[in-house]
Amino acid sequence: MFRHTMLFLGHELGTLRRNPAWPILGIMQPVLYLLLFAPLLTSITPNGTLEEALVVFTPAALMMIALFGSMFAGFGMINETRNGVLERLAVSQAWRPAIILGRVAKDMIMLVLQSLVILGVAALMGLRIGLPAIGLMLLLMAVTGLFAANLSYGLALAVRDENGMSQIVQFFLLPLMLLSGLMLPMSVAPDWMQTAARFNPLYHAVEAGRAMFAGDYSDTTIPIAFGLFLVLGVLTLTWSVRSLRKLAG
Amino acid sequence: MIIEAHDLRKTFVARRGRGRTEEVEAVRGIDLSVGEGEIFACLGPNGAGKTTTVRMLATFTVPTSGTARVAGFDVVKEAAKVREKIGYVGQAGGIDDNAPGRASLVMAARIAGLSRAQALARADELMAAFSLAEIADRPVKTLSGGQKRRFSLAIGLVNRPPLVFLDEPTTGLDPQNRANLWDEIRALRDQGTSVLLTTHYLDEADALCDRLVIVDHGRIVAEGTAAELKKEVAGDVVTLRLDDLAAARALLDAEPYIKETQEEGGSLRAYLDDGEHNLPALLRALEAGGLAIRSIALDRATLDDVFLKHTGRSLRDAA
Repeated sequence: MFRHTMLFLGHELGTLRRNPAWPILGIMQPVLYLLLFAPLLTSITPNGTLEEALVVFTPAALMMIALFGSMFAGFGMINETRNGVLERLAVSQAWRPAIILGRVAKDMIMLVLQSLVILGVAALMGLRIGLPAIGLMLLLMAVTGLFAANLSYGLALAVRDENGMSQIVQFFLLPLMLLSGLMLPMSVAPDWMQTAARFNPLYHAVEAGRAMFAGDYSDTTIPIAFGLFLVLGVLTLTWSVRSLRKLAG
Repeated sequence: MIIEAHDLRKTFVARRGRGRTEEVEAVRGIDLSVGEGEIFACLGPNGAGKTTTVRMLATFTVPTSGTARVAGFDVVKEAAKVREKIGYVGQAGGIDDNAPGRASLVMAARIAGLSRAQALARADELMAAFSLAEIADRPVKTLSGGQKRRFSLAIGLVNRPPLVFLDEPTTGLDPQNRANLWDEIRALRDQGTSVLLTTHYLDEADALCDRLVIVDHGRIVAEGTAAELKKEVAGDVVTLRLDDLAAARALLDAEPYIKETQEEGGSLRAYLDDGEHNLPALLRALEAGGLAIRSIALDRATLDDVFLKHTGRSLRDAA
């Protein structure tokens, strides 16, 4: 089981290594946000310094790649429902969950690598945080990726149509983003929005990231975010493996 | 018997929008037995249920009812065992477009349980056998249709299966590539591999296969060797175009050397043995009956005539 997951992971990483252009393009958006949006936040931070703004905004920029990157991971799989790759794998000796897990593991690794680049840019701009915060943040990115990628593969296998899938993802992305406090902290929002945000898993991830970056490791949002994404990750994985089985009708 | 299927059925529930569903009976009771070392064909028009049948036998689709044993194992209860014994090349090919063929081959070999070194060796062996070595490291999306098909076949054989399923293996290939693929399939049989293939090409079923079934609307309408099936009809067929088909048909049915007549698409097909010698008699009979012939052709009977006999329509029109 583990061997097959690693095999699929290796194959996917090989493909990624041959075409590294897309993940590099994928981090352009959050990097631009860091460079051109974070400085605007200095007006709402207590001392008005860029470093304070980066503590608030860098976790958000990271969650952006989890959303805009991993949520689209499933698009490639739609093609694989058509070109017969999944059909062939389904009747091979492969352990079926490994087909999804190997791809998800690739997405998690890619997300962590992209996060490192963004953290590097933030550090160049003046962000100073400790190693534990970096380590924890990367772990949080990995579990977020676990959820987002599984969800995306599940959607891809259920919808099996690029147009339909892109509509569905777009439909959910904007409210998820606006209700997560990604651009501005939710603390400036009216009460009803703050209440609504509590039902958004991404809100907890952004809050946990900010707590870590502020060095506030006792903040309850941190275990909540990790727990939430692990549970959601397992649920969406089960769903996507089931959808894989349903492919045959 | 490497495949034994009994009364296989598959009903799909198709969505028809707004929550309405419709049941589609893709396969309506198929019995099959394929012997070891045989090239066996399912011949039939598109939508006859060939692909669904193969997918059930290859453990991709679970049958709605019926049983099948493949390589000695039940396709539902012992699917994992069946998968060790089969190679499967689907209609779409199933190769990763973004990876070089070699990477996909090695990957497939490793999934089948080979170590890295063994997988590399097996990939080299298959690439040599299918003349793929030169294009092994190019991304598959840059290859031609024939080259892709050879890679698909190589991937299907990676675990040295005693049985290979080939779903429409030559559809879309040019004549040269088709002929090459036929040779490769024959070579497989010569090494003792059993092959079950589906096709809607008459000449393919005729030239390549040891035995075949003709499938239409989810059922088997005829079974046997191509020679046996054609013999059931007649050796030759005379195709006539004339104004009064019904009268001509009645007249010919009364002739002793005519075995059977069929109307098809505005022409009359009269089946007979020893056509060269009986043709003059046929012409005289029509002339004596005062029927003017607009055109006439004498051909050897083909599997299409078998299909016509059993379904009342030509395979060429059935798709």
